[in-house]
Amino acid sequence: MKKIKVKVKGKNVILSLVFLVLGFMIAFSYHLTQIENQNAPRNLSGNQYEKTLALRNQLIAQEETNRRLQKELTQKQEMVQKNEKSLAKEAQVFLNVAEDAEKYRMFLGKMKVKGKGVKITLSDGAYDPKEDNVNNYLVHEQHVFKVVNELYISGAAAVAINGQRLTSRSYIVCNGPVITVDGVPHPAPFIITAIGEPDVLSSSLNLSGGVKDQLVNDNLVFTLERENEIVLNPILGS
Amino acid sequence: MWLPVMGLVIGIILGLLTEIRIPEEYSNYLSIAVLAAFDTLFGGIRAYLQNIYDEKVFVSGFFFNIMLAASLAFLGVHLGVDLYLAAVFAFGVRLFQNIAVIRRILLTKWTTNKEKIEKS
Repeated sequence: MKKIKVKVKGKNVILSLVFLVLGFMIAFSYHLTQIENQNAPRNLSGNQYEKTLALRNQLIAQEETNRRLQKELTQKQEMVQKNEKSLAKEAQVFLNVAEDAEKYRMFLGKMKVKGKGVKITLSDGAYDPKEDNVNNYLVHEQHVFKVVNELYISGAAAVAINGQRLTSRSYIVCNGPVITVDGVPHPAPFIITAIGEPDVLSSSLNLSGGVKDQLVNDNLVFTLERENEIVLNPILGS
Repeated sequence: MWLPVMGLVIGIILGLLTEIRIPEEYSNYLSIAVLAAFDTLFGGIRAYLQNIYDEKVFVSGFFFNIMLAASLAFLGVHLGVDLYLAAVFAFGVRLFQNIAVIRRILLTKWTTNKEKIEKS
């Protein structure tokens, strides 16, 4: 009885060994095949391969085109930058030119100008019965000339007589009781306004033996005021 | 009867858990060995059903067939002849024959059992 049991057991042990090996081999093979399937790239059929190849070639061509275009873009951008730089330079130049033009226009009296300056009033002297000649206490054009010239010499930027701006081509003519400035008659008193440095202008006019003294000697009333803001209108018809 | 089943289960678990990687060119040998093992197993079942089962023949045939198949494949690879195909063919044919025999025996048994039941 015991022997049979042992025999049966031994049989079972050998059988289980066989089955163990079998199971191991099957499982191992299965496992291995699965791993291989996972790792190995999927096999491509000829058709698929050709398709892949075509797509790949297309991709390469596309990338080459992209590269070329990128290069072109970079070049163009550089050109744009260059152009922009030169444009900026030009703009600077233009700005300078525009500023100059503005300045020159101001000097020429083509636009309204504004600034510090002085205001000089020349009035006829009071009637003096002792004087035979009335001309001795009237304002003449040479008096106006003197004042204007003195102002220009001392650096006035713009000068106007009774609000009329003088230009480089202005003329002042004595015409009986009035003075004609560029054909426009002006009666006394004459208000001469000048834009410039007020200190310089007034001191140059006030020089002893200068313009002021000469005018006062000619029996004229000379007043000088410093103005913080003088506005001169542009010359009409210019 | 549960011991061999347990052996099978343990074997499967071991096979699934092992992380040993064998080179790809040796997977041929393994498949041949698996085929040989199957062949021997079904041969054993057939022999058992035909009452000519001998344990020694079965066990020795099991291991010997596996090794023979593997060495045949090995030889084939080294000779440049696809000898493992011969093994696959031989084992495949025998596998089918064995299964057919088992089927017939089982069918016969089933029919005789049925007749017996009907008679009794």
